[in-house]
Amino acid sequence: MQIDPLAEYYFQHEPQTICGQEVTAIIDEYVDNYPSVVDRFFTRYYYIKKSGSDKSPYQVLFHSNRICLISLAPEHPAYSNGIASLNFDIGQTDRAKNTVKGKGKKGGMVLQHDSTLALLTTKSGEVYKIPSCVRSKLVEVNTTYSENPESLLTAEEGANYIAIVLPKPEHCEDIKASLMTQEQYDEYKKQLMETSTEEVEK
Amino acid sequence: MINQDLVDYLKGHGVCVVCQLRYLKARGNEYKDIKESLEKLNVKYEAAAPQDEEEDNSETVCKKAKQQSCPCCLGLFSHSFQSQLIESILQTDIHKFECSDIVVAISMPMIVQTRQLAMWYALLEKFGNKIDKERAPDVPLKEAIKLIINPIICKELQKGYDANGIMINIQLSHNMEEDNLKKLKQLHEKAFPTAPNTKRQVVSRGVLDKQYMPKRIKADLFKEYFTVPPQADDILKLDSIEMTGPTVFVAGRYRKISRELSHTPWVLNGKRVMEDSIEEIIIRTVAPYFCKDISRVIFMSSGREDVDVRCLGKGRPFVLEIPNSIHTTLPTAEAHRMECEIDKSCKLSVKNLQMVQREELVHIKSGEEQKKKYYRALCKLHDPATPEILQKLDIPEGFQIQQKTPIRVLHRRPLHTRPRMIYKMKASVDKDNLRVLVLDVVSQAGTYIKELVHGEFGRTTPSVSSIIGQPVDILALDVMAIDLDWPKDVDNSLPE
Repeated sequence: MQIDPLAEYYFQHEPQTICGQEVTAIIDEYVDNYPSVVDRFFTRYYYIKKSGSDKSPYQVLFHSNRICLISLAPEHPAYSNGIASLNFDIGQTDRAKNTVKGKGKKGGMVLQHDSTLALLTTKSGEVYKIPSCVRSKLVEVNTTYSENPESLLTAEEGANYIAIVLPKPEHCEDIKASLMTQEQYDEYKKQLMETSTEEVEK
Repeated sequence: MINQDLVDYLKGHGVCVVCQLRYLKARGNEYKDIKESLEKLNVKYEAAAPQDEEEDNSETVCKKAKQQSCPCCLGLFSHSFQSQLIESILQTDIHKFECSDIVVAISMPMIVQTRQLAMWYALLEKFGNKIDKERAPDVPLKEAIKLIINPIICKELQKGYDANGIMINIQLSHNMEEDNLKKLKQLHEKAFPTAPNTKRQVVSRGVLDKQYMPKRIKADLFKEYFTVPPQADDILKLDSIEMTGPTVFVAGRYRKISRELSHTPWVLNGKRVMEDSIEEIIIRTVAPYFCKDISRVIFMSSGREDVDVRCLGKGRPFVLEIPNSIHTTLPTAEAHRMECEIDKSCKLSVKNLQMVQREELVHIKSGEEQKKKYYRALCKLHDPATPEILQKLDIPEGFQIQQKTPIRVLHRRPLHTRPRMIYKMKASVDKDNLRVLVLDVVSQAGTYIKELVHGEFGRTTPSVSSIIGQPVDILALDVMAIDLDWPKDVDNSLPE
């Protein structure tokens, strides 16, 4: 007879009665299609610079409490070209030196939507100025990938955030309106695909 | 002997025997003896201030003073006023309070203070440098009230005196107070001139107490507004008497089996997100037994859980602070009725309801970070569990994590990276679905368990996800225990 190596690890529910009811086992609450952390708490928005030739896409994860996570959109060129470096020292300022104090995040660097957050250099040598995407205050930068920038490309959605920023409550509606929604972004990608195929056909 | 001269002088100006003693700086039994018997008073009185005069003589002065109302206390210490006070207190609803102690707060018009000042100037005039110019020559009225009036009220009501007792708020007034305030204001402007455009300090009782003394205000200036020595006047009037019951504390433990019940009322943009809360259920069931105005009741608990987290096991200790209570005890049957009532919610259960002392609140309030919390989390693995994964998550010796303020509260809390102890961790798996993991965690209070599980994008390290090197998500969380042995176990379902 074969011994089950997991036998000692099987969950056993201990019965308990509260409010005259049998307390349900915690595993009864399992659902198969449970949405991810990003799906549960965030809305995806996208940002593409309005001026200049760089049209690479960025993602803004808007939390229901207005905290925003800024990251590269999955279609960002860095995903195909590889990352050589990710630098928060953008010249005049080092975003990694950002400090915030207290509930009001005092001292956080003030960002406009086109303020550079970090400089990303691909393995093919292109330099991308990662924009802040959102008019806000810088709360935190993610220095995890400074040493091993390639690992950014394999990180899960959310874990690939470059920075966490906090917009003012009164600006949120305008900011959301200025960004692309998932639907608009999908449409934009579709059009982009069509134009590029047309060009190939020509 | 200055004592003899002093008493003679005071008597001559109609000062009552109690105030005479105040000016002799009597601070103890002397007053008690007065109220017990006049005879006994005389003995003590003579002992305190030896004199040659006959006893009858002082007795007549005493009676005389009563009729005229003493220019110093305006009758506050007279027998007639005291009996009127007692009678009025007895006519209030004081009997509704189930409490054996009282505390008395008497608010007097400022004219009484002016009177003491006037006498101070009079004594200075009479006795010169034997009277201090900075320290008042009398025992302050507040102190004398404590020594004289409070014991009488206690005795008549058959209550003890205790700061936690029923608060009797007595408001006194005098028909000359308005005139007195007007004069005080004028005097204050002259005595303490301030530069134009600066905000003028209001003459308050505190200002009178601290700044008004012969050293700082010349006698001639004071006399422009007030008669020195003070003259007999109408007796003080009893304005109002209000009762405030003691503040009591009711403790218990709650368990929560709903994942849709917030800790406190959850309001977003002025609208209720959840219709009810733990705080509201407990307060509306327990508090009405103790007081009418339940809006002033305060709910405290040993930590809190998220709205979607159940609290099982023995439950979470909590305490209600109930001001103006009419009860100081909670009969077992009443406690049981409350517990059964809360059970009917089918969301929340409360047990071990009991009265506790204010001092015991330290259990809930202090050492929050030292407390251990026991949790059970339902997790979902990316890949099916293997013996290796389960062994990795069996960490009886515990470990430390660094946890950044979670994003979900970052908008309203400061950003910090906090070290937190995970004292113990153990995983088990669903026999029918090897991706379903049940994680038992013992952690330091203040650890965010949801973030400990999924690692929150690398903001909590290490995390369950980083330990086993694959994405892990949390689907449900239960609090299994809180290691606080307070309040004590009480089974209210048993007959008393």
